[in-house]
Amino acid sequence: MDRQQEFVLRTIEERDVRFVRLWFTDVVGSLKSVALAPAEVEGVFSEGLGFDGSSIEGFSRVFESDMLLRPDPSTFQILPWRSEEEPTSRMFCDILTPDQEIAAADPRAVLRRQLDRAADMGFTCYTHPEIEFYLLDSETIDSDGVPVPVDRAGYFDHVTGSVSQDFRRHVVSMLEAVGISVEFSHHEAGPGQNEIDLRYADALTTADNIMTFRTVIKEVAVMQGKYATFMPKPFTEHPGSGMHTHFGLFEGDANAFYAPNAEFNLSKIARQFIAGVLTHAAEFTSVTNQFVNSYKRLWGGGEAPSHISWGHNNRSALMRVPLYKPTKGGSARVEFRGIDSAANPYLAYAVVIGAGLKGIQEEYELPDAITEDVWSLTTAERKAMGIKPLPGTLHDAIRQTEDSELVAEVLGEQVFENLLRNKQAEWDDYRVNVSPYEIQRYLGQI
Amino acid sequence: MSESTQTSRRALIAAGFQELDRAASFLDDDQLRDLDASRLLTTMREAANPDQALLLLIRLLERADAVRSVFTDDGEDHYADAVPLIRLLGASQALGEFLIRRPDHVDLVTEADPGRHVSEVEDGHSISVPETVASEELRRRLLSAVRADAAGGDGDGDGGRDGDEDDDAVPPTAALDDDFTVKDATVALRIAYRREITALALRDLCAEDPLAYQPLVSHQLSDLAAAALDAALAVARAERRDRERRGEESESGRTLAERIEFAVIGMGKCGARELNFISDVDVIYVHRGPDDVDAGLLSETAIALAGGLTRIIGSAAPEPGLWEVDANLRPEGKDGPLSRTLDSHREYYRRWAHGWEFQALLKARPVAGSRRLGDDYIEAIWPQVWTSSQQEGFVENVQRMRRRVFEHIPDAEVDREIKLGSGGLRDIEFTVQLLQLVHGRVDETLQVRDTLTAVDRLARGEYMASKDQEAMSACYRRLRLWEHRVQMSQMRRTHLFPRRDEDLRALALAAAPPGMRKRPAAEDLQKEWRRVRREVASFHEQIFYRPLLSTTAVLSDDEVRLSSEAAQDRLAALGYADTRSAMRHIESLTSGVTRRATVRRRILPMMLGWFADGVDPDGGLLAFRRLSESLGQSPWYLTMLRDSSVAAERLSHILSSSRFIADLLEHSPESARWLGDDSSLTPRRFEQLWQEVSSQLDRHEKDDGQNAIRLTRLVRQREILRIAVADASGLLDQEQVGGALAEVDRAATLGALRVAENEIFAEDGRHIDFLVVAMGRQGGAEISYGSDMDALFVHRAVEGADSSVADEQAQKLAARLTALLQRPTKPAVKGEYPLQVDADLRPEGRKGPLSRSVESYREYYRRWMEVWERQALLRARPVAGSDDLAAEFMGIVDEVRYGPAPSSGQIREIRRIKARVESERLPRGADPSRHVKLGRGGLSDVEWLVQLIQLEDAEEYPELRTPSTLPALEAMVQMELVAAEDAETLADAWRLCTRVRSAVKIWTGKTSDVLPSSRRDLEAVARWCGFGAGGAATFEEHYLRTTRRCRQVYERLFYGEVD
Repeated sequence: MDRQQEFVLRTIEERDVRFVRLWFTDVVGSLKSVALAPAEVEGVFSEGLGFDGSSIEGFSRVFESDMLLRPDPSTFQILPWRSEEEPTSRMFCDILTPDQEIAAADPRAVLRRQLDRAADMGFTCYTHPEIEFYLLDSETIDSDGVPVPVDRAGYFDHVTGSVSQDFRRHVVSMLEAVGISVEFSHHEAGPGQNEIDLRYADALTTADNIMTFRTVIKEVAVMQGKYATFMPKPFTEHPGSGMHTHFGLFEGDANAFYAPNAEFNLSKIARQFIAGVLTHAAEFTSVTNQFVNSYKRLWGGGEAPSHISWGHNNRSALMRVPLYKPTKGGSARVEFRGIDSAANPYLAYAVVIGAGLKGIQEEYELPDAITEDVWSLTTAERKAMGIKPLPGTLHDAIRQTEDSELVAEVLGEQVFENLLRNKQAEWDDYRVNVSPYEIQRYLGQI
Repeated sequence: MSESTQTSRRALIAAGFQELDRAASFLDDDQLRDLDASRLLTTMREAANPDQALLLLIRLLERADAVRSVFTDDGEDHYADAVPLIRLLGASQALGEFLIRRPDHVDLVTEADPGRHVSEVEDGHSISVPETVASEELRRRLLSAVRADAAGGDGDGDGGRDGDEDDDAVPPTAALDDDFTVKDATVALRIAYRREITALALRDLCAEDPLAYQPLVSHQLSDLAAAALDAALAVARAERRDRERRGEESESGRTLAERIEFAVIGMGKCGARELNFISDVDVIYVHRGPDDVDAGLLSETAIALAGGLTRIIGSAAPEPGLWEVDANLRPEGKDGPLSRTLDSHREYYRRWAHGWEFQALLKARPVAGSRRLGDDYIEAIWPQVWTSSQQEGFVENVQRMRRRVFEHIPDAEVDREIKLGSGGLRDIEFTVQLLQLVHGRVDETLQVRDTLTAVDRLARGEYMASKDQEAMSACYRRLRLWEHRVQMSQMRRTHLFPRRDEDLRALALAAAPPGMRKRPAAEDLQKEWRRVRREVASFHEQIFYRPLLSTTAVLSDDEVRLSSEAAQDRLAALGYADTRSAMRHIESLTSGVTRRATVRRRILPMMLGWFADGVDPDGGLLAFRRLSESLGQSPWYLTMLRDSSVAAERLSHILSSSRFIADLLEHSPESARWLGDDSSLTPRRFEQLWQEVSSQLDRHEKDDGQNAIRLTRLVRQREILRIAVADASGLLDQEQVGGALAEVDRAATLGALRVAENEIFAEDGRHIDFLVVAMGRQGGAEISYGSDMDALFVHRAVEGADSSVADEQAQKLAARLTALLQRPTKPAVKGEYPLQVDADLRPEGRKGPLSRSVESYREYYRRWMEVWERQALLRARPVAGSDDLAAEFMGIVDEVRYGPAPSSGQIREIRRIKARVESERLPRGADPSRHVKLGRGGLSDVEWLVQLIQLEDAEEYPELRTPSTLPALEAMVQMELVAAEDAETLADAWRLCTRVRSAVKIWTGKTSDVLPSSRRDLEAVARWCGFGAGGAATFEEHYLRTTRRCRQVYERLFYGEVD
């Protein structure tokens, strides 16, 4: 029994924790949870907890469904939104096969593998997500079939006594209570849309934090009688919810992306990283933008990047090199703007980092930065400038992923196949659905 | 001495000089003018290398006149007092140079008497050896060389842990000032160290029994290294202190460099007090500081001390560096911080450390710096070494260690390696450590660091026989002594046994006690070297495995008797899961006084290790027991295993990784004979097989068919086993296996056909010629173990026969043939996998007659044939029956299969059927990505694609006309119908899938078309596919990737034109 485990058991005792939730994630990024009684925790630390993997999306083959959860004691947290009378806590879990080996289908293991690969190359990988979401009056839609936001405000608007503000304050304090540092929170462009930025942390911690974050947001909303959604594009006319993420690589304590005298202070490593991500962006879009609805965000205007380019502080680029104070060389980083708020953060970060590392390993050349507003270019102009589009639909994205050796390698063959199968099923489902749009447009006319 | 040139030439040779002219001219040197030539030459016989010794002597005399005092005439025929000096100069160029460079230190030969012997106690016996210098004395001498006080607070004897730290005296710190700088201290330290080394070498070279003195030499070398570390630390501390003071611009109060507790933990040889003359010294640093000091600052100070220490020991200075201080065994290796706190160490070993790191810790011992902290470190960390056998992965670590015992670094000089070569020191050390780790958990007396003590304790604890202990200890000392002498010569880190005769002679003399009047011969030393290595190489088996037998077997009295628990611990460490049953099997195999039991007792120990290399050691041992029981008295069996270690190793490997072969062997144990003989593992050619089968049939023609066909089927079973054993021994690749198996089935079919014809024609007279045509994978000769046979039957009425009578006879013949091959025989062929004949590919399938006349085929193919039947014909290959009929039938077939390209409608039909097969034939619930035959990128994908291209292009390109998949694919690349890269992807997947099918059959004995998912099965299959131990996960990923890529190519090419 190591010290971390002892700490968990002691805390359970001292705080009189009644339930310990074991958290893990399926292939699409849904949080799964099993509750344990405190008495069972010690046994689970040593033996793991068996469960039937076949009922979890993308976990195991039917004939080998026994799997084990092994809680990671370093992720132990008391959950603040559960009542004081019955304190509840959670731990994230690694998923093992019955032979105690890391299961190939565990998204956490997929990310961990990329981070190990980075470590082998001498890098530590940090991420910093900006998560957008909508706060709605309720889960139900109005008579026009549209969700109802809690307010009508816009970007950075201060709404006096507003639900949003109250909500954000509550969320931030709750996040701090579970040990997640918030850097920034503000009202976003859409009505009821909010953004909360999590502090820079290593990529695995960030991904764990995102899973916790989503739960906290949903819980707080419910407590206030509201509803929060991370759907990539809930409103046709309002911007979608992205999860722009800043990536940074460190070599020891030095920022590997920073070079004092280079263009935009970008080191060669940073350029190769960006080149890697851009080269493979179309291949992994089905991971970073995994739902049918994701493509409504990508192609629905707003600030969503629909084309593959990069630029210095250019908000229309898929990859943006943000402005930062020249004195702060340590904070050099690049922002990938493609991911949406509904992505499985483990897999999404794994593919972006994997692509970036590949760029470094194979010394990809980075094309010139784009200074123009990519949205305002004509198709012909984009063609002339060599700017390619991201996949237009989930179907396009799946086809491109299918042929990607990189994604197969990053996800591992099993997750790769499970993902493709899952996404294909979603697309097949969607394709046969007759939408309100079609009724509205064609019924009267034809 | 010039007047005596003639006489001295003989004397020169007797003294051992190589270069006589040079030696003679040296003897004329002014420096030697006063010495008596004959006395000097007689003394020179003590020098391992007299040429070197003489030159060094002249140079030394030039520098230090005092040396003359040892050349005093005391009435003997040689200068007795000069013997130590001459032995030193003859054995070590480097130390001779040191005396020349630092002539102040000649008092070591003029004043001291290195040859003085004292009595020491070892193992309760009194032995006479040269003096030893205690570690405290060495520490004192080296510390005083750097002007530090050995009685400083942090070292030893300073109260318990509860003492208030402010009361602690300042740890030893060098008194540096402007006249005694860091550089001066560095030089002083190194000179003092070399002085002690020289003194020790003198004593060692004068030892009357150097083997007895060897462990004490190693102790002193280790203590001396520790003392050097302490002295270097005293200098580093002073340096750091002065820097701190300058930083604070005040000299008041104690600096952090003085307050921090800092300990050096010796690892490896230094830790175990078994250091050699020159070697890297492996260390780990640990620090602890006052609570009021910032952890970062503490760590910085500790790292500065560690860095300073390394520099003072090793970096360039007017006196050369001593050795490398290597801290890479520390937590996280090169990436980890140079020094850690005790808590951080403890945490690391508790949570992160790998098995081998614990193994490295086995030898850890505090050697320098704060003794109190060092002891705390050992107290906290060392116990974990001994619990590591309960940790995950212990068995794998043991396996890896065992492999390293046998797998030596490939090297042109491997035969000369004293340390790493086969039979070298490493063999002894690993065997001993392994035993310590396995048994040390329960038996604390084994928790010791150095090899010799461990060997001793293992014998006392009855884990090792005392005769083995004596032999091992003697070999170990002998090897170490040679290593010491080889290193001493140039003070270089080498472990190479010399090659040239003169070097061998020098080594022999240096390793011998003084006073040998006859110079030893080079061959004698070579012989001794080979003998020691042979003996050492046998220790592992002798000491690790052999005692496993002893709990039960009747052994001679001088063998050790392990307790049953200890034996089970060892078996468990090897990877046996059911140790109780294993003990039972061992008992049954080795008990008794028969010759069988005796031979098995001799071979089983090694085999236990080989079984453990397989995936299923328990199964292997059980199968060996069964095999041994069924082979009973067969004298050749035991003789083969006893005399051929290749055979025994193969057998162990096969039994522990193949159920299929183990089963077959159990039923035809006499086949085990092949294991010892590669030539009998070459698959028989068809002609040979047929000759055997047909002559058997001739002999039994008069009997009923039963007996004859039984003999044929026995031949088939025997040959399948032969192929499997050859496969397991790595003598065949998968394509050869497929081809060989197909030949065997062909011979069996032909035999069955002849028996059937004899029976039926004898009854009703002969009305037909008959032909069996193999289809499918049999047709392509690419089957695996346990494949069935797809076949078509063809007949033709003989001249004048009535066609309906002929038809009737053909049906009878076909049915009889099939029955002969697959019905049970009397007596049964045990363990047989009968050849199942499947005629469903015939026209009209199951509704049609079993056999058709050649005209009927012609008619059918002209009129009714569907395109899939044409496709199936691509793999038709006649295997048994009338040659003439075969020619006629294949003429028709060739016309059909290699005819004009199918219409687009037909191609569409083929594609559709393929798609349907994929979705319908796949068993319910099967994962398509793991189905080797019908799954994604599996066999049928490749084969259908190849066949489609054959249908389209074989008319135009005769090169494509072959029933086998890979040759057809190659031809397509030649004809540029398929890109080479695509073909390679397809062929890779096809080969892998074929191999997996074979591997599954051979591992489980069952036919399955699914890649196993249990780790163990996967591991076994992975090994059959050429992956190393522990490669299951990699293999699975490899399989999925290979087949996925294949599927991509398939989809592009097979459906290509449709899109």
